[in-house]
Amino acid sequence: MARMKFLCDADRCIECNACVTACKNEHEVPWGINRRRVITLNDGKPGERSVSMACMHCTDAPCAAVCPVNCFYTTADAVVLHSKDLCIGCGYCFYACPFGAPQYPRVGNFGSRGKMDKCTYCSGGPEADLSTIEYEKYGSNRLAEGKLPLCAEMCSTKALLAGDGEMIAQIYKERVIKRGYGSGAWGWKTAYRETIAI
Amino acid sequence: MKAFAVAVLAAVALAVGASFLLGANQKYAYEAFSTSGARVSHPGTNLVGPRWTGDVTGPADGHKATTGS
Amino acid sequence: MRQPSHLGTLAMAALVWASVGLTQPAHAVNAPDGAPNPTASSVNEDLLFRQAPTIGGRVSIPDAKAANLIQPQGREWRDFRESWLPWIGGLAILGMIAALALFYFTRGRIRLEHSEESGRKLLRFNGFERFTHWMTATCFIVLGLSGLNYIFGKRLLMPLIGPDAFAALSQWAKYAHVYLAWPFMLGVVFMLVVWVRDNIPNRIDVQWIRQGGGFLGDQHPHAERFNAGQKVVFWMVIGFGFAMSATGLVMLFPFAATDINGMQIVQGVHALIGVVFIAAILAHIYIGSLGMEGAYDAMGSGEVDLAWAKVHHDLWVKEQLAKTASGPQLGRGQVPAE
Repeated sequence: MARMKFLCDADRCIECNACVTACKNEHEVPWGINRRRVITLNDGKPGERSVSMACMHCTDAPCAAVCPVNCFYTTADAVVLHSKDLCIGCGYCFYACPFGAPQYPRVGNFGSRGKMDKCTYCSGGPEADLSTIEYEKYGSNRLAEGKLPLCAEMCSTKALLAGDGEMIAQIYKERVIKRGYGSGAWGWKTAYRETIAI
Repeated sequence: MKAFAVAVLAAVALAVGASFLLGANQKYAYEAFSTSGARVSHPGTNLVGPRWTGDVTGPADGHKATTGS
Repeated sequence: MRQPSHLGTLAMAALVWASVGLTQPAHAVNAPDGAPNPTASSVNEDLLFRQAPTIGGRVSIPDAKAANLIQPQGREWRDFRESWLPWIGGLAILGMIAALALFYFTRGRIRLEHSEESGRKLLRFNGFERFTHWMTATCFIVLGLSGLNYIFGKRLLMPLIGPDAFAALSQWAKYAHVYLAWPFMLGVVFMLVVWVRDNIPNRIDVQWIRQGGGFLGDQHPHAERFNAGQKVVFWMVIGFGFAMSATGLVMLFPFAATDINGMQIVQGVHALIGVVFIAAILAHIYIGSLGMEGAYDAMGSGEVDLAWAKVHHDLWVKEQLAKTASGPQLGRGQVPAE
């Protein structure tokens, strides 16, 4: 089985936010919830870079470790998913997540923050693949159809790469060798405890 | 015993009161993180919104059901 | 000795400086085809992490939290919550239970002596005081159990009842935790108001502590309305109660007062104080019920035996009796006005 990862090539990302819009539309993500976002570093200064960030589907995911009801699980593709039926909306996963991926329908923590929502790597949830109930809760399941996450698939500059970790690392490596520079695989050290050696 | 019973009742009453008071002030993400230009009603608890029919005819047709209705 | 080493350092620094100056342009400024390197002045992860512990930027989303790109502190908070906290909490609570059991089985209950039963009753806690105590106490028990559920539930309870039942229970425990927090906070404030007057530490407490609360020597130490031990419990409840309230409020309104790292620290403080608070209250529950015969009546019916009071709170009894019979000595069933 593949070990699915995201990689954002910040030297290509132009902050067009198409990945954000694609994600929102594909999964009917409501207002106020952003499974993916683009962050601009050193905005307006020389050396400005933009990075598209979502759940990185970490190795030994912190969110899964801290969850008080163990609602997270890792699929055979190493995608970190969660069950909205078990989630109690405590907000702990957001404290643990290095990338700010978990999102909640409510702002205050009175009673509950609502069922947590996050990037599913376009692979739904614990319900049966491609079922209506799965779509309602988690959005579409492109992985079950043999497709990759839409954000990366439609990235116009191919800055955002999704797929098997070794394959996207290879693509990135080739790019860096060809063009002679690269600002690195953002978040990989934190998410996967490894970086791409070039 | 009377003081204890009154105390438990008061605790429950205060908790229920707090739940209503806080619930009324609870902001949803779609309110808190939208700007004045956004016309958001009540998206409901599902991802798909209030006009979702649940009519999925084929694989990955889910999103078409909302746009079609 | 000093001179050469100084020179050596200088030489090293010069060498490092030269090597950096020499290698950097060759490495970074030009691509293999000689084109200028557009990343020469760009940011990268290592550089940003050297400047600040988190990496953040600008987003077009009206949610300030979204501007955080990477906060590796989440990993540290996870280590605290998953590796340290269960051990600290388990040791504090089980250690207290073990200590109390050891005390109970070696020393036994502190019995009422025959001379402590006179049949005359003296009002110790009026209705409002008992109401305040029990409101705070019931809230505390629910808060404590639902709080421990966040740490130990998935380890102990979930394997027994299954994930679905456990998630439903945890959801209700969470509702109870966040809503019963309000009567608890009110109760702590009430306690401060009604009891602070009798809990100011004074010289009598020093003597009480010196005599080990009556365990050392055969003379029962003098005590006013509250002895030094009770004063410690009072100030512990006030201190921890306010600390739990403050940290709890920050967590009820997430990110209103602080950022992500602040939230992590606040949660850690809340959890640590919580487990110590629970352990301490276990001792309070023990001494007020099983540990000492006759002690429960003070908070149960509100009335204690005059003879018991004369032994344990002699100065307080003297003061009460001086207030004449119309004062606190009431017949059974009568609840005085606060």
